[in-house]
Amino acid sequence: MSNSDQAYLQTRVTAMSVRLLDAPALAALAQLDLQALAERLQLEPILDEQLSPRVKARAVEQTLLQRLLADLVVLTRPMAAAERGLLLAWARKYALFNLKTLIRGKLHALDQAHIRENLYELPARVRLPHQELYRAENVAELLRVLERGPLRVIARQARESYEQHRDAFVLEAAVDQRYYAELARQGNQLRGAEAPAIQYLIGSVLDRINVLWLLRFRFAFGFSPSEAFYQLVPSKRLLHRDRLLSLANIDGFDEVLAAMPAPLSSALAGSPSIIEVQRRVGVMLIDECRRTLKRGRSGVARALAYLILREHDLHRLYALIQGRLLGLPQEVIDIAVELAEPHCPSGIAVAA
Amino acid sequence: MLRPLPMKHVRLLVMTDDLPQASLTLAETESFHPDERPPEIQALAGAPGRDYRERYRQAATRLDKIAKLVGVAPTPPMRQVHVVHPDELAAVGSLLRERWEEAARFEEAFRRLDEEERFIRDQEVALENFANLKIDLGKLYRQTRFLDFHVGMVPRENVGRLEGAVQLAGYMLFNYLARGDSAHVVIVGPRGEGEAPLGSVLTSAGFQSLPIPSDIADRDPVAKREELQARRAELAGQRDTLRTEFKQWERAHRETLLDARRTLLLAEPFVTLDPSIHSSGSLAMLAGWVPLRALPSLAERLEQSLSMPFDLSFRDPRPDERPLVPTVPVTNRWLTPFAMLVKQYGIPQYGEVDPTPIFAFTFLLMFGSMFGDVGQGAVIAAAGWYFRDKLGRFWLFGVMAGLSSMLFGFLYGSIFGYEELLPALWTSPIHHPILMLKIALGYGVVFIVVACLLAIYNRFAVKDPASAVFGHHGVVNLVFYLSLIWGSLRLTGTGSFGTLPLVLMLTSLGALAVYAWRHLEAPAGEKVLVVFIETLETVIGYVSNTLSFLRIAAFSLNHAALSLAVLTLANMMGTTGHILAVVFGNLFVLVLEGGIVIIQVMRLQYYEGFSRYFSGTGHEFAPLKLRRGAAGAG
Repeated sequence: MSNSDQAYLQTRVTAMSVRLLDAPALAALAQLDLQALAERLQLEPILDEQLSPRVKARAVEQTLLQRLLADLVVLTRPMAAAERGLLLAWARKYALFNLKTLIRGKLHALDQAHIRENLYELPARVRLPHQELYRAENVAELLRVLERGPLRVIARQARESYEQHRDAFVLEAAVDQRYYAELARQGNQLRGAEAPAIQYLIGSVLDRINVLWLLRFRFAFGFSPSEAFYQLVPSKRLLHRDRLLSLANIDGFDEVLAAMPAPLSSALAGSPSIIEVQRRVGVMLIDECRRTLKRGRSGVARALAYLILREHDLHRLYALIQGRLLGLPQEVIDIAVELAEPHCPSGIAVAA
Repeated sequence: MLRPLPMKHVRLLVMTDDLPQASLTLAETESFHPDERPPEIQALAGAPGRDYRERYRQAATRLDKIAKLVGVAPTPPMRQVHVVHPDELAAVGSLLRERWEEAARFEEAFRRLDEEERFIRDQEVALENFANLKIDLGKLYRQTRFLDFHVGMVPRENVGRLEGAVQLAGYMLFNYLARGDSAHVVIVGPRGEGEAPLGSVLTSAGFQSLPIPSDIADRDPVAKREELQARRAELAGQRDTLRTEFKQWERAHRETLLDARRTLLLAEPFVTLDPSIHSSGSLAMLAGWVPLRALPSLAERLEQSLSMPFDLSFRDPRPDERPLVPTVPVTNRWLTPFAMLVKQYGIPQYGEVDPTPIFAFTFLLMFGSMFGDVGQGAVIAAAGWYFRDKLGRFWLFGVMAGLSSMLFGFLYGSIFGYEELLPALWTSPIHHPILMLKIALGYGVVFIVVACLLAIYNRFAVKDPASAVFGHHGVVNLVFYLSLIWGSLRLTGTGSFGTLPLVLMLTSLGALAVYAWRHLEAPAGEKVLVVFIETLETVIGYVSNTLSFLRIAAFSLNHAALSLAVLTLANMMGTTGHILAVVFGNLFVLVLEGGIVIIQVMRLQYYEGFSRYFSGTGHEFAPLKLRRGAAGAG
């Protein structure tokens, strides 16, 4: 990127970062009712009496996603091809969500209109290039179409697995694995002064996912060390290949946490469950993104950090609105939007 | 010819049950351009065609997928036009699902044969590799007491992860060959606990076991190769059988598929109209644009075809709707190629003058005058005629440009650059350069004045009088330009610009400046600067635009000079050399100068002409049509 593009990007990121929600702002929003939330966040569908809560929630999710993608478009505009490719690869997770929705829809023989209702509307540069995917009438046909595109390797494996077990797990796991592997690959391809900062942030993203997957596959799904390792994506930061090999070979949940490298070991020490681990690694990633956004020198790394934080905010807003739409107690909503520590709220306990 | 066809906004109220018939009738008349704006009446919130559209899309998707395998004509000849009711559409959808499932089974069978053939090729490669080894791999490959042994292929991108995973199960991986997207690997480890997890990992990694012949060390590799070749021949036989079965299937269902296509074509108008249809209960409303002259026949057709009551009302387009009204394109055969060039710039907005006839006339006039030569024009015209099949509707453009060139060739007395063979009906440009320059300048003045007049007319036509008077190339600009030309002519003739032209020129410039000042919202300093620059730009712009037309004379002189140079070179050679020089010289002039002249003419048309009077922001009349297909297309 030229100096002027770099300056433009830095300015853009800084200007956009004022949209991010700090704790007081979120706490203030969490006190508002639906009417006030709709006005404040310009989410009119919430107020449409004709729509069901599910349709309203879906419309809100689409609107929030469009805001994130609009930011992405603005931020990638001044970037060089490699950096833009990296950020688009990050956003392609939503295309893969669509793919999974399609697979599940076909697996459960849902009609096309119903599946389409649950797909995200995505810009051309992010969505999967195959319109044929949408026209497939069953999983086998869908996988055949996939085999003709860039996901052909995992599609072939998945088809063979699907033909044997009629289970979409292998395919979905492979789709997730490939998404992060592609993100790592795009990050590793970067060259120049900005590359280390970007790779560092991507390393944080990968470390987070590796911790979760390792624990989930080993102790929730009961995978063998070799099976669990195969699903992971080595990072260049904390959880590199050799470390993942040794962690995958450890048999106890607490022992794995203890064997984690610093600062993961101290952050995760004493976690009683995978859910708590998920919360703590999530907090670590968000802190890392905030640091990058505040002190980072790379415009692209700051842009990526901003997008991760913005996505996190939009998830919390969505949780808040959905909680209101479903009429959940304030305590539960506060936990969902991370304003309160997770515990069993009294209302739920009483109801239970 | 210059004025657009008058259009009416039409509103058709029908019963929802009659919608398929109404759509079909509208499509048959080919005069209804749908208006997709949401209805002004809130009560019409229903979308009655949604289910129909879904059924249509599903069926059309299935047929498209089948058509990729067997080829189904996109528009077979229509046998009988009839209304496709939702039940018929659903039945066609079900039938196509069955056909697609059958076709997909054939496709799958072909794919399996492809995979088997690929696998044999991989085995042959493995055979080549293992044949050179001095050990009996067959023994290793058979189950042994202590070693678990896997030979096979895995996608290359999975090798790294698989290596780590097998390591955790106590195995080792050797990657001994990379071929395409696949890597050939040997995985070996001790028998025991690691076997079960390894199997799962190998499945996840897409590992394909490669059956290495057990007797590889004992048997002649040539014999093994022959065995593989025999298997390959067997597969080829299976493929032939499958092809024959597929052909039979195709023959058996060809008519069914064509009928399905016809049904979908008949259903298409209703689906296309869907965004324009709004309903409330059993009442539906369709809105669109129809040429005034087509309205009586449209009403008559609806009267004949609709069984239930309907209401057809129409009105003139409102001023605020003008940008939405479609413009009917030029249909004159001779003007079609020129209309294509005009379309590159834009479509006239409804009410604007269609510039195609003016464009055609001035294009031919300028091209001929800049490239006047009987011989070269004849070559261009002949080439246009000869390649008429390849050039499509554009061939007429070549013929007319060639004829124009020939006409000016006769006026200039030039044939393939020779100026002494043919008596000039008028004069040779190279002998009267000043006259040519004067004519070009005069032509430029007329061109700009006509362009300004058209701009003024267009703005009045689209109800924008302020812009017509004070806007770019409006009445005040024209007064300025004409007074400038008048003063300049006086200056060259009498040596004095003249008081009246000067007063007119300064007054019009002052009016433009006041108008610009009033429409600017900026600090006073900035206003002064902008108004000054805009006024200066008006003066410089008109002067330079007029001088721009000197290129017409320049190119006519250039053409004659180039031809002279070619003939001078030819005269310096012998007979053969002379002929070759004339032929290649003329070819050079035709290709290079011909191309440049076309570009220059287009530039004058687009920049000096269209940019003055033609907004190009309209959109083309695209009526609903029933795709019937030509006879014999099926």
